[in-house]
Amino acid sequence: MGFRSFQISQQDNEKAYIFRLSGELDLSVATQFRIELEPIVNKADKMLIFDFEHLKYIDSTGIGIIISVLKIRKELKAEFYVRNIPSGIQRLLDLTGVSNYLDEGLDEGV
Amino acid sequence: MQLQIPALADHIDIVRLCLFGIASKMGFSYEDIEDMKVAVSEACNNAILHKHQDDKQGIIDICFEMDDSALSIIIKDNGPGFDFEETTKKASPLRETEVADLRIGGLGIYLMQALMDKVEVMTGNGTVVIMTKFKTSTNSAKEI
Repeated sequence: MGFRSFQISQQDNEKAYIFRLSGELDLSVATQFRIELEPIVNKADKMLIFDFEHLKYIDSTGIGIIISVLKIRKELKAEFYVRNIPSGIQRLLDLTGVSNYLDEGLDEGV
Repeated sequence: MQLQIPALADHIDIVRLCLFGIASKMGFSYEDIEDMKVAVSEACNNAILHKHQDDKQGIIDICFEMDDSALSIIIKDNGPGFDFEETTKKASPLRETEVADLRIGGLGIYLMQALMDKVEVMTGNGTVVIMTKFKTSTNSAKEI
């Protein structure tokens, strides 16, 4: 469908794997996102960053992916940051309590 | 007003678009509309995730009931349903101290309850979810 706008663009640098998400992250694209994440999420050599600047919408499926990434990265003792969260999405992360476990990692210089 | 969609995740955005149109016309605030979009999508997610395994093409009926003070959205599916009361008991924000202890289930139902003014669920032959949002926040904003 033409207007379905969910897109993942991966732009890595020497310190981090960076995923920039745009559009609507819901049940219909959750599997696609999980598949794209799979080769990266277990790599502890660099930090992992999600950039939500252009994300318009998230549902509990998308929030569930964030929680599972948090758990995997914690287990690996690997860094994981979520940045540029729009206010509407921040509200949902606050309501569900997920924001208590998230960090922007802005001191990391990446 | 009624809408019927196949119980497939690809069509949930259509429900959000309809809801946006109706709620905008009724004069709901942007924040209220965003809240309703999430709550209604979560109800559709449940219908899709809990449909019969062999049912490739279940359907979801969505009915919008409007009056001067409120919008009710009724989401009805023909799936086997699930133990809504039991799931609701577990539905809460995350409070665990350790990330390793975080659980993922139940957040959708928690969001439905947190974002709507009233949520009623009837299970039996399929599941019916009735969610209501009152227009109070818009009115109070006008008074200020």
